[in-house]
Amino acid sequence: MKDTYINEILEKYRADPFGYIDSHTIHTGRIRFFVKKDEEVSGLSGEWHHIPGTKLYSLHREGNEKPTFSKSSGIVSSIRNDLEGKFVEAGEKVITIRYPLKKREIIEEILRQVLAPFKAPERAKYFFSLDVQSRIEKFGQRSVMVRPGDEILTMSLMKRDTPIYYQGEPGIIHSVYFQQGITVEQDEPLLGICPADKLPVIQKVITRVKAEWE
Amino acid sequence: MKEKILIANRGEIAIRIAEACQDLGLDFVMVYTPADEDSEHVRRYLDSKSTKNKAWRISSYTDSNEILSIADYTKCTAIHPGYGFFSEDFRFARRVTIRNRPLIFIGPKWEVIRDLGDKINTKRVANKLGIPTIPGTDAPIYNEMEAEAIAEHIFEKQKIQEIAEPSVLVKAAAGGGGMGIEEVHQLEQFRRVYRQIQNYAKRQFGDGGVLIEQCLRDYNHLEVQLVCSRHGERVYFGTRNCTIQSTGRQKRVEAAPGFDSSCFPYDFNPQEVLDKIVKYSLKLASHVKYDNVGTWEWIVARDGSPYLLEVNTRIQVENDVSARISYLKKKHPNLIREQIRLALGDKMGYSQKKIKFKGACIEFRVVAEDTRRGFLPWIGTISRFNFPQHEWSAVYTHVPFTRPYVIPSDYDPNLALAIVWGANVDEVKERGRRFLNEIIIEGKNGKGEPILTNIPYLKDNIDNLLKF
Repeated sequence: MKDTYINEILEKYRADPFGYIDSHTIHTGRIRFFVKKDEEVSGLSGEWHHIPGTKLYSLHREGNEKPTFSKSSGIVSSIRNDLEGKFVEAGEKVITIRYPLKKREIIEEILRQVLAPFKAPERAKYFFSLDVQSRIEKFGQRSVMVRPGDEILTMSLMKRDTPIYYQGEPGIIHSVYFQQGITVEQDEPLLGICPADKLPVIQKVITRVKAEWE
Repeated sequence: MKEKILIANRGEIAIRIAEACQDLGLDFVMVYTPADEDSEHVRRYLDSKSTKNKAWRISSYTDSNEILSIADYTKCTAIHPGYGFFSEDFRFARRVTIRNRPLIFIGPKWEVIRDLGDKINTKRVANKLGIPTIPGTDAPIYNEMEAEAIAEHIFEKQKIQEIAEPSVLVKAAAGGGGMGIEEVHQLEQFRRVYRQIQNYAKRQFGDGGVLIEQCLRDYNHLEVQLVCSRHGERVYFGTRNCTIQSTGRQKRVEAAPGFDSSCFPYDFNPQEVLDKIVKYSLKLASHVKYDNVGTWEWIVARDGSPYLLEVNTRIQVENDVSARISYLKKKHPNLIREQIRLALGDKMGYSQKKIKFKGACIEFRVVAEDTRRGFLPWIGTISRFNFPQHEWSAVYTHVPFTRPYVIPSDYDPNLALAIVWGANVDEVKERGRRFLNEIIIEGKNGKGEPILTNIPYLKDNIDNLLKF
């Protein structure tokens, strides 16, 4: 990877060093907000991320109160105050949090260009195969080596499970871009595979971002 | 009637239920997930800016809290589960009816679903009543060693009976509709298949219990359509034959009546066998005090021996096949309308004697799939969707006729149910061929390849109907 390309990406992030997280209602219910526009909110904290962030809103449904907490520290950049106290449907966009980008996110974005992507063959839900899942649990994700022909994923499409076999250069599973059980669009990367010869490049990217990003 | 129905389902059945509600003068509400936003069951009823909006977005069709919160907010008084999803979930039916704001569950009472909705329990109850069932386990197995021992025993039994190709079926105990079933031909393959099904069952149904049964060959798969009321009235609307199924045991072509001598020289008296399975079905229904619509599924071997497979305690996809060979006051009944009416407490208003059976009917399930590659689901965008209109046919679909439609990958790629009926099996087969030839479906997938449907497969199978 050329330095100019890394420069380009870093420039882009310097111009707008913020990320935006939209919060959609995860289910139906009566909504009550606990924050106001432009209010500062904090994200998960604590040594084990055990302290929840600022309470953003709660949904009352079937006698249960379901609070939603901010996952990231930042500012409430938009909020649907018109919905306060009303019954909302699932999937309604209610709050947007603007937060300063972290080094990790920038590194991950640059690495997307470096790592060999393993793409979703169909719009479907994906799960790690039993073998890969147990290896990840036992040794950690970045210690799992995959080779062409290995059964690495299970594609759940229209209630059918289909094994997905890895095709591409052998390497370790460096990045996982999907969440198990959440639908992924066709051709979206599922995994970022790192072939052994690309490890120095990755190290270089990480060092550069760490050094240049405050 | 002043009831208001929440339709907790999607696709063509949601539309059929809505139309049945309209026929009965009942108000109703739809629910939908974001994946279904473009489906006709949503588009027809969505008017989010109006107070008369009838379609509400939820996170999942299988989240009971979502269904109930919409039901309460929209002041519904009853829930129609359709088929699949919550239709055979006795816990859901119980929760609907026993709560601070009780609702009517449009289906059998939860106790009845509990007794029959679970195929293991059904088998146990049927065995007690002397109703024949398929050899195998009548309780879910969770232990691999125990499962293998049972499979070995079933293989040995088949060997003693000199069955040419012995095999066992491994089924997800909590499954249904043909999902989670695999066939094992050799004991050495058993453990691998057992683990695969157990894993599938855990993920899809939340229960890893597995059933092991002898795989019967050379059989016909029949169904008996029962309609019962809360007042102890029980009638049947004929029999259907659904032997033609995909490799995943999903029904593709279904015909009524269950047997017809013009199609095949049966080794048994077909009418006697049909009468026998109707009699057994009514016996079991009476024993459990069945009180709504239901389908009794039967396997009939080549020698005419029937075995009860399971009971579907819900409206069946193919209910209209039965309706099209039945006459009540010289008209075809609408079984969905009957189901709603009876669940709301009406008396039936007719007896078995008033139901006349005449003619034949075939239903084709038109699906976007590659029948040559194990019925692999096809996903993409439909650009043209056209069905012929005849006085002897009907089409039920959620796919729009006037705009492109992206098939959602979250659900089965069922496109439509096409029904043809006529005076006899020969006529209906001829009409079926003509109807399938007149269908126009065009579309492309993400790679620009043209749509694949099962229409050629449906045509090829018309001549196989009602045969062994």
